[in-house]
Amino acid sequence: MSTLAVLSALFLLLQCPLLSLSTNSEGKALNALRRRLSDPNNVLQSWDPTLVNSCTWFHVTCDSNNHVIRLDLGNSNISGTLGPELGQLPHLQYLELYRNNISGKIPEEIGNLKNLISMDLYDNQLEGNIPKSFGKLKSLKYLRLNNNKLTGSIPRELIHLKNLKIFDVSNNDLCGTIPVEGNFESFPMESFENNKFSGPELKGLVPYDFGC
Amino acid sequence: MKLILIKHSAMASICMCHFILKLTIVCTVVVATLGDNTTDSYWLLRIKSELIDPLGALKNWSPTIHICNWNGLTCEVDRTHVVGLNLSGSGISGYISGEFSHLVSLQALDLSSNFLKGSIPSELGQLQNLRILMLYSNYLSGNIPSEIGNLSKLQVLRLGDNMLAGEITPSIGNLSELTVLGVANCNLSGSIPAEVGNLKHLVSLDLQVNSLSGFIPEEIQGCEELQNFAASNNMLEGEIPSSTGSLKSLRILNLANNTLSGPIPTSLSLLSNLTYLNLLGNKLNGEIPSELNNLSQLQKLDLSRNNLSRSLTLLNVKLQNLETMVLSDNALTGSIPSNFCLTGSRLQQLFLTRNKLSGKFPLELLNCSSIQQVDLSGNSFEGELPSSLDKLQNLTDLVLNNNSFTGSLPPEIGNISSLKSLFLFGNFFTGKIPVEIGRLKRLNTIYLYDNQMSGPIPRELTNCTSLTGIDFFGNHFSGPIPETIGRLKDLTILHLRQNDLSGPIPPSMGYCKRLQLLALADNKLSGSIPPTFSYLSQIRTITLYNNSFEGPLPDSLSLLRNLKIINFSNNKFSGNIFPLTGSNSLTVLDLTNNSFSGSIPSILANSRDLNRLRLGNNYLTGTIPSELGQLTKLNFLDLSFNNLTGHVPPQLSKCKKIEHLLLNNNRLSGEMSPWLGSLQELGELDLSFNNFHGRVPAELGGCSKLLKLSLHHNNLSGEIPREIGNLTSLNVFNLQRNRLSGFIPSTIQQCTKLYELRVSENFLSGAIPVELGGVTELQVILDLSRNLFSGEIPSSLGNLMKLERLDLSFNQLQGQVPHSFGQLTSLHVLNLSHNHLHGLIPSTFSGFPLSSFLSNDHLCGLPLALCSEATGKERMQLSNAQVAAIIVAIVLTSTLICLVMLYIMLRIWCNWIKVAISSEDGGMVEQKTRNGEYWKMNSAELFPSPDKQNSATTCICDQKIDAEARENTLVR
Repeated sequence: MSTLAVLSALFLLLQCPLLSLSTNSEGKALNALRRRLSDPNNVLQSWDPTLVNSCTWFHVTCDSNNHVIRLDLGNSNISGTLGPELGQLPHLQYLELYRNNISGKIPEEIGNLKNLISMDLYDNQLEGNIPKSFGKLKSLKYLRLNNNKLTGSIPRELIHLKNLKIFDVSNNDLCGTIPVEGNFESFPMESFENNKFSGPELKGLVPYDFGC
Repeated sequence: MKLILIKHSAMASICMCHFILKLTIVCTVVVATLGDNTTDSYWLLRIKSELIDPLGALKNWSPTIHICNWNGLTCEVDRTHVVGLNLSGSGISGYISGEFSHLVSLQALDLSSNFLKGSIPSELGQLQNLRILMLYSNYLSGNIPSEIGNLSKLQVLRLGDNMLAGEITPSIGNLSELTVLGVANCNLSGSIPAEVGNLKHLVSLDLQVNSLSGFIPEEIQGCEELQNFAASNNMLEGEIPSSTGSLKSLRILNLANNTLSGPIPTSLSLLSNLTYLNLLGNKLNGEIPSELNNLSQLQKLDLSRNNLSRSLTLLNVKLQNLETMVLSDNALTGSIPSNFCLTGSRLQQLFLTRNKLSGKFPLELLNCSSIQQVDLSGNSFEGELPSSLDKLQNLTDLVLNNNSFTGSLPPEIGNISSLKSLFLFGNFFTGKIPVEIGRLKRLNTIYLYDNQMSGPIPRELTNCTSLTGIDFFGNHFSGPIPETIGRLKDLTILHLRQNDLSGPIPPSMGYCKRLQLLALADNKLSGSIPPTFSYLSQIRTITLYNNSFEGPLPDSLSLLRNLKIINFSNNKFSGNIFPLTGSNSLTVLDLTNNSFSGSIPSILANSRDLNRLRLGNNYLTGTIPSELGQLTKLNFLDLSFNNLTGHVPPQLSKCKKIEHLLLNNNRLSGEMSPWLGSLQELGELDLSFNNFHGRVPAELGGCSKLLKLSLHHNNLSGEIPREIGNLTSLNVFNLQRNRLSGFIPSTIQQCTKLYELRVSENFLSGAIPVELGGVTELQVILDLSRNLFSGEIPSSLGNLMKLERLDLSFNQLQGQVPHSFGQLTSLHVLNLSHNHLHGLIPSTFSGFPLSSFLSNDHLCGLPLALCSEATGKERMQLSNAQVAAIIVAIVLTSTLICLVMLYIMLRIWCNWIKVAISSEDGGMVEQKTRNGEYWKMNSAELFPSPDKQNSATTCICDQKIDAEARENTLVR
């Protein structure tokens, strides 16, 4: 009897994926993100994974080819962590998650977002390092990580980001020296305030993460 | 099984008695005793009076008939006393009378499978001769009376399938003759009484499906003759007592679905008669003891849904009688042991799903030729499927989904003629579907989705005429859908989404008359829908989106009355959409981006469950039918990009659940209605590119969940209502190109989540509100261009640190560009042209093109011409001489600082080299402290220059120099 029950349960389970498969990879990624987040204000209520794509979900914006280009969850009282699935939104241009209670590390997979223009993670509880993979974000113009709990040093890979206009890491626990090359020449001091930086880098004199 | 046997033998003996009685009894016995309360018949008639007997089972219980002839009764040889009463399944209801206690000779009482209610009378405890008491399958409630424990001769007690509650009375331990105790399917609570252990002759103990809690008592080992112990579906906790292993006679042990924890006791291996062991759904952990291999009689083993770990040690080689092995949903690791199976095994079912098993497809399994069902899904198996898979000639279900299998399907799979289900989805299979698949006449389900398979869908597949489900979603299959698909008369699911299929839908598909789900979306299919589709009377879901289908829909599609979900978006369908309105059960109708024409059928309103109606990007004409207002579950209404005319029907105000209302790019007219404000769930409202006139209704402020409000390109007039400030969630607000006048309300600053604001091409006037500077999340654009704004630009706009585009052009703005604009560091598109601005352009704007500043009164500075003396004469606060002096002073001091710094650096550098050299043979500590001091000393002065364009002389200028002075140094 029980094996029959197991069998029938098995076949029921097998039917399920068929229903949920009608989502695309971006929808899957967003849905995986949703599962990590606690959302007391129900801002993610409209995220229905059974829809053909995620373009009609609120706080998600797509381009004309139905690729997700914006994620706007700033100031939405969400908490939880970010996961590697964020790296599976290859067309994303704006990642706006500022002013929430998001904790944990910044997933290095975000570095795969080749089209990312703006990453606003400021005013959260993020910890750990700034991923080195950010050096791959060739389109990135705005990177605001201020007011978190980030530690470690500023990865030198970031000096190759030719388009970077804004780099704000103030009010974290970062250490080491501040890069002076590339666009870092022009970032104002306020962007580095309230950290444990030992000062600007003097090329060749000390390792940039010295004292970290 | 044992219980059934007992019941059958009892029934048989009763029948025999009846037969003998009928033969022998000729004369009627005096019935004078009937009024005598010492006779059984008197009490039986009283018992009858409490029973309801709709089927007449007690009809011959009458004073005129001898008691021994009464239905269901068995008499003693002396024909005066009743020894047996069997009214099982007689359809009687009512209560069990306490008067039963007077039937002192009664040995067997069977009232099972009736509709009796009330409680079990405690008086039954007086039936000292009772050996069998069966009250199962009734509606009895209350407790099991403790007086039951007085029935010292009782052998069989079956009370299950009732609504009995309370604890199992410990007095049950007094029933020393008891062989069968059945109380399953009740609401019994409390723990299993330890007194059960006194029941030395107990053969069967059935406690399943109750709410029993606590531990399994160690005393159970006293039940030396126990053969069946079933306590599944309770809330038993703690470990399985190792004393269970001493129940030598045990054949069936079922403890499934409890919360038992700890390891599986190795002592269970002593149960040499065990044929059935079920521990599924507990919290057992540790490894599966290899000693269980000693259970040579075991036929069925289920340890699934526990936390069992480590490798699989059970071997079919040892468990020679095993027919079913279920170890799913554990954390088993490693591979399937190489000596797992032997030829001639009896294993029929092997379920190992959702463990952490790895390795290649276990060739060992191929020796289990008796095997019928193999489920290895949800593990990490890899490698190719062996071509000798066809050794499994009895295989009906091959379930290998969600592993990492690679390679192509071996053609030999076509030899497994018994195969019914083939689940290979979620792997990395490549290559073609072998044509031999067509030989699988019994194949019922083939799920290959989420693989990398390619090639055509073989025509031979349609030889598998038993198929009910095909799912090839997410592969690279190409070529046409086989023309002969119509041979699959039993097909209910055909899911071919996301492949590279081309060609038309074969007309024969209409003959798959049982089809319920047809998903052909995301392919390269073309042609039109064949008229035979009208035969698909059971179809519920058709998704054809993202293909190249064309042509009008066959009218006969309106015969499809069970349709729930239709998604034909992104094709080239044309003609009327009326054929899709035959069903009243639609929940989703998405025809976006086709070439449908004609009007929107009002009959759509018959589908009261419709929640997504998307008809955007077509050539629909006429008006929006007011009947759509009946769709109270409507969540998404998209009629955008059509040629719709007329007003928006006010009946839509009844669609209270609407979240997306997209009517943009039509020719709709009339006033924008206040009722829009009653749509509380509205998140997106797009009415742009229409001919709406009148005011922006203040009531819109009631749509507090609104994220996107697009009213641009209409003829709206009047002022922007202050209530806009209530839209605190708003992200995007566009009023471009209307005829709006008046001010921008200061309440706009409450829209703190606004990232895009466009009010250009209106007649807005007055000053730009200072409060706009409070909308600090403005990011994509702030476009106030082509209005009548006047006065100075508020310096608060400099707070818009995230703003990327700012357009204030074509207004009548005056004064200077605020210095605070220097903080607009995110800005990359700026247009201040065609205003009356004058004065200095902030230095940070020098990179913007000329066109950003053209046609102003007297703007100067890069990229325009440098400010001459004349340009700033009205507003100049410092005399030219003073400016010159300041510049000279700054240049001089900075040069001086530079020189000093250079000197300091050189000295430090020299020191550092010394330190570095000494630290090579010295300690790290020293280096660290030295460097720490070093940075502390010089950190401020050594900070890099804020701007590339600074000359070498100002490269080490102090960051704390105020903004004005910095600009001056730049202008020079």
